[in-house]
Amino acid sequence: MSCPYLEYCRSDDVHEFDHERPHCALDDSFVSPMKADVCNDRHDFEHPAYCEIYRAAVDEGVAGEAVRDGAAGDEVVGDDVVTPEVTD
Amino acid sequence: MSYEDYLDGGSVILTVAPTGGVHGKDANPNLPEQPSEIAEQVAACEELGASICHLHARDEHGENDAARLQEVNDAVRERCDDIVIQNTTGGQSTYDSRVQGIRTDPLPEMASLDMGPFNRGQHIITEHTRNNIDNLAAEMREKGIKPELECFNNGHVNEVYRLIDRGALEEPYYFNLIFGGGTFTPPTPENVLNLVSNLPENSEFNLLAVGRHQLPLTTLAVLLGGHVRVGMEDNLYYRRGEPVESNAQLVERTARIVDLLECDLATPDEARERLGIA
Repeated sequence: MSCPYLEYCRSDDVHEFDHERPHCALDDSFVSPMKADVCNDRHDFEHPAYCEIYRAAVDEGVAGEAVRDGAAGDEVVGDDVVTPEVTD
Repeated sequence: MSYEDYLDGGSVILTVAPTGGVHGKDANPNLPEQPSEIAEQVAACEELGASICHLHARDEHGENDAARLQEVNDAVRERCDDIVIQNTTGGQSTYDSRVQGIRTDPLPEMASLDMGPFNRGQHIITEHTRNNIDNLAAEMREKGIKPELECFNNGHVNEVYRLIDRGALEEPYYFNLIFGGGTFTPPTPENVLNLVSNLPENSEFNLLAVGRHQLPLTTLAVLLGGHVRVGMEDNLYYRRGEPVESNAQLVERTARIVDLLECDLATPDEARERLGIA
């Protein structure tokens, strides 16, 4: 079962696309392809166990609200996003 | 695979990794996701001297979808002249998804072969056991697909030796040495030198470094007689604060550096010959 906070939309305050992309209502941000596997419970990655955003929301009892700022995973150095992972 | 090889003027194999499985257009709108976009960018890179393309596939939402590798392969073959197709068998997916990269029709000439798992996010370890690796290696060998041996850290070099001891690989062994954060090898020149010194005889190596490390460490690889991979899978910025406009922009820069270092880029056929691809 997909995460209840996963939605598909074309735009937010920063982005606009010509197609729908996965978006996290908890984090109020678009979801990377890698994270979307977890949102969709693909490859045995169930979101209650593997998603830090969902887990934090449950732990804090504030699911349904924005629980943190910024997306997890990308290490931001100055203006550079230093991609920490590749997928070979 | 040494500084002497560089001085002798051996050709450099340039691989482009246009898409990957980590980032999407929300991170950089120029990252190609759909088959036609990927093929168009790969064709531009081929014109600039890339001889191998490392391919991932996405669905209509930009999410990872190995089932669409066939469509991506078809588009690249349609759009490009002769570039070597290297499909991914990597990522964080299960074996059934990974293996789709070596079951396209026609088969790819190359495929990536991750040499072990790594950590992702806060709660994920990619599922990639030795059993998976052995099965993928066996199917690649049976089908004549050249594996690129993805070494995310120096322990993964040990795993290649394990495959060699099992007789699972054919020479030359083609390593992809990966440098970055997390469970990857820390991206320093010293670590590049050390890893290269640990490779077996009859090897060739490619170097992949993420983000701002892509430019300096791939340049170092050329000086060590190695090969290079660039592309938006590994790096979304051309320089600090300046997003990459296209994969061709990164390939063009590397081609220029290789030329300044008085080396030639390998053509696809030269890459095939160097790597023992039938």
